[in-house]
This record gives sequence, structure tokens and C-alpha cells, in this order.
Amino acid sequence: MYSLQGIGKSFGGIDVLTDISLTLKPGQRLGITGANGVGKSTLINIATGFLKPDSGHIQLNKKTLTHQPAWAFAQAGIQRTFQSTRFLTTANLGEQLLLAARAPGSKSRLTKLIELSGLQASLHLFPDEIPLPVLRKAEVIRGLAASPEVLFLDEPSAGLTANELDQFGAFLKQQLGQKTALVVVEHRLDFMAMITDSVVEMQLNRGLVKRGVDVKT
Amino acid sequence: MDIYLASVLTNMTLIAFLALSAYLVLVVGEVSFGQQAFFGIGAYITASATALAGAHIFLGLLAGAIGGAACALLLGLLTIRLSGIYFAISTLCFAELLRFFLLHLRFTQNIDGRIIGPDGPEGFSNIRWIFENHYEVADFLLLAVTCLIILLLLLFSLERSPIMLGARMVGDDPVLAQSQGLSPTRYRLSFIALSGAVAGFGGGLFALFNTHIEPAMFGVMLGIHGLAYAIIGGLGSAIGPLLGVFLDIGLLESIRQLAAYRMIIFGGLVALLLVFRPEGIVSPRLVSRLKSRWRNRHV
Repeated sequence: MYSLQGIGKSFGGIDVLTDISLTLKPGQRLGITGANGVGKSTLINIATGFLKPDSGHIQLNKKTLTHQPAWAFAQAGIQRTFQSTRFLTTANLGEQLLLAARAPGSKSRLTKLIELSGLQASLHLFPDEIPLPVLRKAEVIRGLAASPEVLFLDEPSAGLTANELDQFGAFLKQQLGQKTALVVVEHRLDFMAMITDSVVEMQLNRGLVKRGVDVKT
Repeated sequence: MDIYLASVLTNMTLIAFLALSAYLVLVVGEVSFGQQAFFGIGAYITASATALAGAHIFLGLLAGAIGGAACALLLGLLTIRLSGIYFAISTLCFAELLRFFLLHLRFTQNIDGRIIGPDGPEGFSNIRWIFENHYEVADFLLLAVTCLIILLLLLFSLERSPIMLGARMVGDDPVLAQSQGLSPTRYRLSFIALSGAVAGFGGGLFALFNTHIEPAMFGVMLGIHGLAYAIIGGLGSAIGPLLGVFLDIGLLESIRQLAAYRMIIFGGLVALLLVFRPEGIVSPRLVSRLKSRWRNRHV
């Protein structure tokens, strides 16, 4: 169980987030959408420990993480991807995936994830030699390798064609287990409909509002 | 073995420790202009331990390494919130501070009619371990090379482990490193301390080989050379800094016709490399590519 309670954040006197709360159960798949500038990225950065909130608490399985550094969030099982995929260009993909699977027992899991996703052919390549759709998959696999509690995806559709996005969605559905809760921050509602159970919309100064569309397909 | 050749090779081996220590800091993304301080600290500690306290050489070298590591850790803790140019300046200041400290350090003893111990700017004379143990230059070379090979084996095993990739990640992209659950602070402190140990150990060997050390030997230029060797050689593997040492001392200083122009050629070489191959000769990509090719052939 992961929860944000009463998260507030302001930058230079401008309130970006006020009193945002959110609870995730294992296996839950939540989409967050919203206009540019309402604070989606700020929220994801706070939720994963990269920004510290001015107020509120972050808890994972009753443990308070609020003031922990970002790496402690990751170690506790809160993983994320980045809007523009983020890899080292000085090491090949395989090495970097292995680094993510350094916890005991993760390696066999990683091997399975790689096989299922057909990533074998890219393992010996450097990330800047790999096409974006493959890198997006690799980033998800990197996040899932350590069997996280929560995985945050920051605009996974960015840079993908409709076709590639469909494939990515199918890949996600296939890879996510029962344990990991998923949060997708995204503009593309068709994509959200494909992989999430529910979608909330972030609105300026109003926090998270349930989106009235039927997203279950 | 020709004494000139043996002493050039010994010199290269000792400076390799300094280059490797600069390399370890570069790996975690920082530039240090202060590794000569840890080299100097190691030299003074090993000299004191062996010449004054009569310690066994390995105990003396170990003490030098620990002293270097402790100083480096102190520097790392003092600069924990600094990076980039601010970190670099701090390392330079720290090293100069230590040099001034050595300039004022005096605790000489009269042992068998010889004045032994640090004597301010005069330095530390009569470090007689190699004479007392009848070490010829070639013998000492063998000792130093053995120590270097052991260090290299340790570094290679570190490079095979995920720790090194983690360190590179901390150096290249701390945000990514954090998202992978790696603490940039811990990595930086550990690698800086390790770099201090490596430099301190090399400094200890340097003191034993030179039999006389003085603060002026541990000036900025020494550190800049170590740093330049690591940058030229590349950060892909511990082989890189060794290659840098070999290029400068091995080729330029030793070929006597070139020796007079050494700094000109060396400076030009650094400039050219920074333009055409800023990642160094043995770059991380090169090493990664070679490794996977090797694995493909043997699996």
C-alpha cells in the first residue's frame, strides 16, 4: 500500500500542488492526465523522492518515506521512468539492466522479462544505438527487474507512433504482475484506456478529479 | 638491469598509483587537483613509520594508505555538497593546505648519529629502508611492480562488479543513479577515500625509493600530471591511466632527444586528445564493446 497524504508544493510563492492525496493498492493501475503545467511532473518527482514536498506525507506499507533521499525511495521499491528515456551511453543495455537486477533473486526475473519482450538482440548495444520504442520497453523492464511496489511511468507515449504505442501497451499489460501498482502520467487517453483501471485528471488548484470516462475496455 | 632504465620504470610505477587515484575520482564524476596531497601524506607516514618507529615495510605502507584514505575521506566530507569546479578548487586548496602543514612539520630524532624525521622545508631525509635491506634499484622495481599488479587485480575485479557501473552512473548521471537506488554521496565518499588509499600507498613507496622527501615534491604539478594521465588514458578501465603514464614518462621523458621538449609535446598531446577524443584513449565504450565481443566469442 502506497500513499500520498496532503502533498503541497510551491515554487517561489506559486502553489503548484495543494493537498494532493492518493492511495495505491498492489496491482492497481492508475492513469493521471491533465493540462500542461498543472503539476503532473512535480507530482511524479515528489512521489518518487526527487523533489521534497513542502507539506504532506509519503508512505509505503506504513513506512514513512517523505524525507528520504530519492535513492532510498528506489530501494524501497518505488521505481520510475523518465519522459525522455534515461540510460548511460557508456555502457551497453545488458550491463545496465543487470545493475538494476542486483538484488538477490532479481536476475532470473530479469532474464524472463528480457525473453518475453524479445530484447535479447539489443543487449549488447549502447542505448544511443537502440530505437526509442525498444528503449521504452527496456526502461520498463529496468523498473520491473527488482519487482517494485510501485512503478511510475512519465509520459511513455512521448515520441512513439500510434502503432508503436499499441505495441507498448500490449507489452505493459503482459509484463505487469499482480504485485506492482502502476501509475501512468499521460496525455493519450486511448493508451490509458488500454492499460489502466481508472483515470484521474489533475486540475489547476483542484487536485485530482475523477475522470468521467469509461476507461475499462 | 640498467640502473637508468630501472629507475625510469620505478618512477612510472610510482606515478601510476597517483594516476589511478585520480582515475578513481574521475569515475565518480569529479575532478581532483589534490591527489598529490594524499601521495605526500602517504610518503610522510610511511617514512615516519619505517625510519622513526622501525615498522615493517608493509605495516608502513599500510599506514600510509590508511592515512591517505583518512585525509581523502575528510576532504570528501568537507566537500559533500560541492561538485564540478567548486569541488576541484576545494581539492586544490586542501592539497596546498597540507603542503603548508608539511612545511611546518618538525619532529626529528637523532638515530645512530643521523638526523631523521620531517624537518620543515628541508624535508625528511635518511629514509634508509632500502639501504638497510640491501635493495638494489631492480629489486625495488620488482617490489613496486608487484604492488601495482595486486592493485590492478583488485581494480579489475571491482570493474567486473556492478559497483563500478554504479560509480560511473553516479558520475555521468546522478539522477539516473538515484532512480536505480544508488546513493551518489556514498559512492563519491567511498571512491574518494579509495583514491586516497591508492595515492597514499604509492606515496609510501615513493618515500622508500627516494630516501628523501620534502614538501616541494608534492606540489600542484605532480597532481596535475596524475590527473592528465588518467584523462588521456581514458576512464574505461584502470589500464587507461597506466597508458597515460607510459605515454608521458615512458616515451617522452625517457627518449633523451625528446626530454627537453617533453612538456611542450605532452601539453600538445593533451590538447589534441581533448579535441579529438575527449573520452580518453581507453574509453568506457571501447571497453564495454571489447568485453561483449570477448564474451560472445567465449560463451
